[in-house]
Amino acid sequence: MASTRSDFGSVWSLYLWIGVGVAAVVLGAVAFTLVRYRARPGRTVSKVAERNVLEITVASLILAIVALLVFRTFHTEAKEDDSSRPDAVRIDVDAFQWGWKFTYPGQGVTVIGNSNREPNFAVPAGRPISFALTSSDVIHAMWIPGQRFKRDAIPGRVNYFDLEFDEDGREQGLCSEFCGLRHSNMHFGVWVLSNESYERWLAAHQ
Amino acid sequence: MSGGPRGGGGPLLAWACLLLALGTMLAIWSEGSDSAALFLVGAVPLLLTSAWNRARPARGGPRLLARVSVPVVVIAIGAGLAAIGFTAGLWLGLIGGEIVLFGLVWLGREVALERRAVGR
Amino acid sequence: MAGGAPVIVDPERGAEERGAALERGVAWLAATDHKKTAAKVGVASLFFFLLSGLLALTMRAELAQPGLQFVSDHTYDELFTMHGSGMIYLFLTPAALGLGLYLVPLQVGAAEIAAPRLALFGFWLYLCGGIAMYSGFLTNNGAGSDTWTATIPLSNSSGTPGVGMDLWVIGVGLAVFGSLAIAVTILLTILRLRAPGMTMLRLPVFTWTMLATTFMVVASFPVLVVAMGLLLAERHLGGVFTGSTGSVVYQHLFWFYGHPVVYVMFFPFVGAVAESVATFSRKRFFGYRALIVSLLFFTALSMAVWGHHMFITGAVKNQYYSLTSTMLAVPAGIEYLDLIGTMVGGAIVFRAPMLFALGFITQFLIGGLTGIIVASPPLDYHVNGSYFVVAHFHYTLFAGSLFGLLAGFHYWWPKATGAMLRERLSKASFWVLVLGANLTFFPMFFLGYDGMPRRVADYEPKFGDLNLLSSIGAGVIALGILMVLVNMVISLRRRVPAGNDPWGAQTLEWWTSSPPPRDNFTSLPEITSYAPLLDRREREEEAAAGGGGRAAEVPA
Repeated sequence: MASTRSDFGSVWSLYLWIGVGVAAVVLGAVAFTLVRYRARPGRTVSKVAERNVLEITVASLILAIVALLVFRTFHTEAKEDDSSRPDAVRIDVDAFQWGWKFTYPGQGVTVIGNSNREPNFAVPAGRPISFALTSSDVIHAMWIPGQRFKRDAIPGRVNYFDLEFDEDGREQGLCSEFCGLRHSNMHFGVWVLSNESYERWLAAHQ
Repeated sequence: MSGGPRGGGGPLLAWACLLLALGTMLAIWSEGSDSAALFLVGAVPLLLTSAWNRARPARGGPRLLARVSVPVVVIAIGAGLAAIGFTAGLWLGLIGGEIVLFGLVWLGREVALERRAVGR
Repeated sequence: MAGGAPVIVDPERGAEERGAALERGVAWLAATDHKKTAAKVGVASLFFFLLSGLLALTMRAELAQPGLQFVSDHTYDELFTMHGSGMIYLFLTPAALGLGLYLVPLQVGAAEIAAPRLALFGFWLYLCGGIAMYSGFLTNNGAGSDTWTATIPLSNSSGTPGVGMDLWVIGVGLAVFGSLAIAVTILLTILRLRAPGMTMLRLPVFTWTMLATTFMVVASFPVLVVAMGLLLAERHLGGVFTGSTGSVVYQHLFWFYGHPVVYVMFFPFVGAVAESVATFSRKRFFGYRALIVSLLFFTALSMAVWGHHMFITGAVKNQYYSLTSTMLAVPAGIEYLDLIGTMVGGAIVFRAPMLFALGFITQFLIGGLTGIIVASPPLDYHVNGSYFVVAHFHYTLFAGSLFGLLAGFHYWWPKATGAMLRERLSKASFWVLVLGANLTFFPMFFLGYDGMPRRVADYEPKFGDLNLLSSIGAGVIALGILMVLVNMVISLRRRVPAGNDPWGAQTLEWWTSSPPPRDNFTSLPEITSYAPLLDRREREEEAAAGGGGRAAEVPA
């Protein structure tokens, strides 16, 4: 499974360039029209008030672009929403006002922290990580910008999703759903480690 | 077709049908999610309006209109106070309710007086 | 009665109402004339706009630099809550409906709105709601502080305690109910009070956009009122939004209203832009029937996209909402085609309303295209809850709708007041606002993409530069708004009379005097299309020229 970051990147490029293209066409048409059809002495005004063939053509063209975008989106979303890898590392995440608790079920490891002390949890690089995300109180959201991914943490509900971290280092995470007073201070960190470092980290935190 | 008192409901009905179609699509696609029922909730007031519009055509011709209607303002302010009473306390709710009732009676009299003045 | 104005029977109470100033004040506050009610809506919505705008300036002052300089975290929460709530519930929605309340009877040739008492009632309910919401600032825990959406469970009595939040909930319910009442009168007017000859297919473009708007209002606003009632019950009694699905149920109820409302704040202004573009291109609006079809599809679709606000909950059928949301591009594209088509072949005159209309057309495009981006769940998974979304909706609502509102304002102000605005000041304010809007909101796309969340008083130092740029832009916006206000004052103080039709326009409101008399019309021209005055001019020109020829000569 490729990472969400690369999945995002290819869809983003498609949307962005089509958007830029549409904007260029529309703005170009407007600019041309303003110059070409400026009021000038003696200018005669056309009385053409409808061209239904043109309307249908344009609507069909846009519909075709919509279809392209939607199919591409559905394809990538199916990948991102899939969370059924059996060999994944499992981490349970519990969001609360105003911090995070990360539990590795079966490993006896728990990391917890809040606005006073940012929690950091570790993952091995290149392996799928299966998250089970919930909240203890209000709705929060777990956002890791480097992964181009977030999910709501909803009380009474568990959201499952898989992520794959490629490069060693530290990724910043934060809460992105307004959750009260210390919403802006609800950060966490992800240590992306090699397999051996990750095993050592686990052992150290048991 | 002149701008008649009965006409005009076509777009409304068409729109309500679009709403129901979109709701049916969601109901099927989401395998019966309750949220699709919201489309029904949305369509109902429109269909009622359409039915009322057809059942009671606009009377055409001179309309009876007031220039000023103070009781309407009174009713609105009373309703506002009564609503705020939900947090401020029963006392405000009761005061607001009384003002609304007072305003309704006043409005009734105002409308009755108007009709009598015009001979209806 | 063909061609004549309907006679109004009105029991003579004027003598008692005239005289004492108190009675005159009462008469103004309780007047049922739709033009006066609409003026009251306009004044109130302007007041709430300025108030909510001040909150935004305070926020931008705080955000200009990393760290907390001016306000506490909780105060900041109140600021962004009341800024968003004020702008949506108390400014742009009432303003959109108020514009229709003023214009629709005039555009359809009616003497008065349907159910004028109901419209007056709606205004006062909305005003009470706004006062209730803002008076939360005077309470112990401050004003409402859980965003304009008040998501459960944070919005219950333990998540956001205090009377201020209660007042917010009640105020929102009142304001939205009042707006609903006004919309109903507009809908009934279009259905029942059109002048003879004014068929549905001769309604002006603005009236069609208002009709479509009232459909959305009638379908969705009641649900919000119910949601607020349930939220109030949750806060005081508990047990309403329970279990693992309670918070999701609330979101469904809220967003079923919460998405259509942004289109309520859009379509009337598209209509205003369409009228301006047609008038200042000296051509009738292009693609009228295509526009009607696209309006109906656009507004119906807009009722079916609300789940895109819930993509990251994992609790809705993302694919359905992604499809409906992306499909919005089709009717939107038709509307753009028709706007451009109106200008093509025309003789474009760059008066102030036209500038604002062009500002709407170009700037809304950015908002709309970024909307297509967030309609894709994989993309939304990154940018939801970030400043990217803040940029998107400020481009649609500020750089888009507000510019459309200003187009309508500059276009119809002479009609409503009988006085012209100052053209050079209008144009200058336009350019200032363009600079301000783009300086403020464009950097936010980058901030969001790079990881800055929304609804935060403080942020990582790396976001400092763009935030400073944005805050400077906010100051420029304030200047532009000030220029508009000054323009209004000068226009009224040193009046330049407008006359019936200062622009050479096309629709019925320009037939009557400026401002119109109490009963709107003393006579009506023949209604032969959605541009009756243009038809008349063309017939006169053809008669003068001896008939023949397809094109019309345009005065320089």
